[in-house]
Amino acid sequence: MYVAKPAELEAIGLTYSSESAQTNRALKIMSELRTSMRSLMVMLETCVKCGNCAQQCHSYLGTEDYNNFPAARAELMRRIYKKHFTWSGRIFGSFVGAEEFDEETLGKWLTYFYQCNECRRCARFCPFGIDTAEITIMARHILSELGILPRFMQGIALNMQKTGNNMGIPQPATLDSAQFMEDEMREETGLDIKIPIDKPNSDILYIPSSADFFTNVDTMLGVAKMFHVLGVNWTIPSTVLEAANFGLLFNLQVMRTHNLRLKQAAKDLGAKLVVQGECGHGWRAAKMYTEGCNGAFPFELVHVLEYCAAHLDRLRFKRLPWRVTLHDPCNYSRAGGIVEQPRKIIRACVEELVEMTPNREDNFCCGGGSGILMDEMMDIRLKLGRKKVEQIQAVGDIDYLAIPCSICKAQIPAVMKHYGLEKFEMGGVMDLVGKAMVFDQ
Amino acid sequence: MITIKGNQIEVDEDGFIADPSVWNEDLVRYFADLEGVGELTEKHWKVINYLRDYYKQFGIAPMIRKLCKETGFSLKEIYELFPSGPAKGACKLAGLPKPTGCV
Repeated sequence: MYVAKPAELEAIGLTYSSESAQTNRALKIMSELRTSMRSLMVMLETCVKCGNCAQQCHSYLGTEDYNNFPAARAELMRRIYKKHFTWSGRIFGSFVGAEEFDEETLGKWLTYFYQCNECRRCARFCPFGIDTAEITIMARHILSELGILPRFMQGIALNMQKTGNNMGIPQPATLDSAQFMEDEMREETGLDIKIPIDKPNSDILYIPSSADFFTNVDTMLGVAKMFHVLGVNWTIPSTVLEAANFGLLFNLQVMRTHNLRLKQAAKDLGAKLVVQGECGHGWRAAKMYTEGCNGAFPFELVHVLEYCAAHLDRLRFKRLPWRVTLHDPCNYSRAGGIVEQPRKIIRACVEELVEMTPNREDNFCCGGGSGILMDEMMDIRLKLGRKKVEQIQAVGDIDYLAIPCSICKAQIPAVMKHYGLEKFEMGGVMDLVGKAMVFDQ
Repeated sequence: MITIKGNQIEVDEDGFIADPSVWNEDLVRYFADLEGVGELTEKHWKVINYLRDYYKQFGIAPMIRKLCKETGFSLKEIYELFPSGPAKGACKLAGLPKPTGCV
């Protein structure tokens, strides 16, 4: 994995701590977390090493690396916690598994906290509910505060800072792309279906993934067609052309800043309802963290799949003659309350929905979760995605794989291509809405 | 750093040129070998020139679907021309920064 250089860190407001200062800085942050993140402290205190999580973790199953066994991964932080914040660790040291925060630990943190997809499946099966995702989130946060983060994350943070989206799409390009998509829909339907950008006095603010303005066009078309038929007053803010919030995945201050953009855009454009697009972790960040990091918000927040499912009776479809399976993005099914809505939509749009096993809250991650999309990590990504591939293969012949999250949309096709299994279409759930929709002329 | 005809050119970790303004046709040939493109044809240049023109105007790569429509090539044909794909292959040859995010 490529790591950001000091000058690159400065460009996004982070600084590199010299090696001698790293331990003190890390311990200071951990000490602060003892009061601000009690949940994390409970998780660091609780594990009994029952081993239940090992067989539930696709990262451990795919890499067969001991440090990717969730309890062992958590132990990388727990040992430091014991050494400095428990009496038993202070007195008995390594006899009770306490360890100093040294260079070796730092190296392991960087490697293994970036091989955890923050999917929370371990938490689902842990008798105590220990959530390694929480531990990984905080470990990555501490690392970034020491000036240690992947170059990939730095590049995205820089783009977010400049343009408000991960890809770095400037406003004129957003307008050009919206125009292009409107032309596409006019050619296809003969209708004047709009994708309004920065329209003042809009009731609904729609927050797409920026990848919908690059690769996942059909997701955006599905959403635009739905809003058209429902006849609502909506817009997309060019300042927040991004449902993703990579700050959750490496630095909580960066998360807070992007979340503030959302609040500001809703205020500027007068929206009372914010609809988040197909992005897993971004939904978790918006739904679960907005109020915690930036206070009460004066708008209602829903996910596009919730919104669409709630309005199905006002939409008409010609069912596509397809056999479709659904991959549940982890941050929907285990962290964001989106489970039955995509199923309801898919059943309305196609002839057959077939479930993969396990599914819903028990589903396995795609292996790209938490932003592990670096090209240089492709070998690891393939291992992290192996369990998902097995699940998809076990479903048998399908026409379409629904993967309603931009990270899943980037990861799964790459893994399927590697294994030579690209025998069907892959894309979002809103894509199906767009393809199956019938218009009253 | 890479060296082409005695000139040192800075590239990032993924091998994309760091400064789009130093782009030239020698670079395209160098990257063509690297990315398994082989001999450059008129079709390749059509894609490269479109990407460069769009980038000059908008400061970003166009939507993939727009690239296909404007050049007249299907996505499959783009992959045949640039085996590492439109984002990682064609953009590299055209001297654009590497598209990043969930791609």
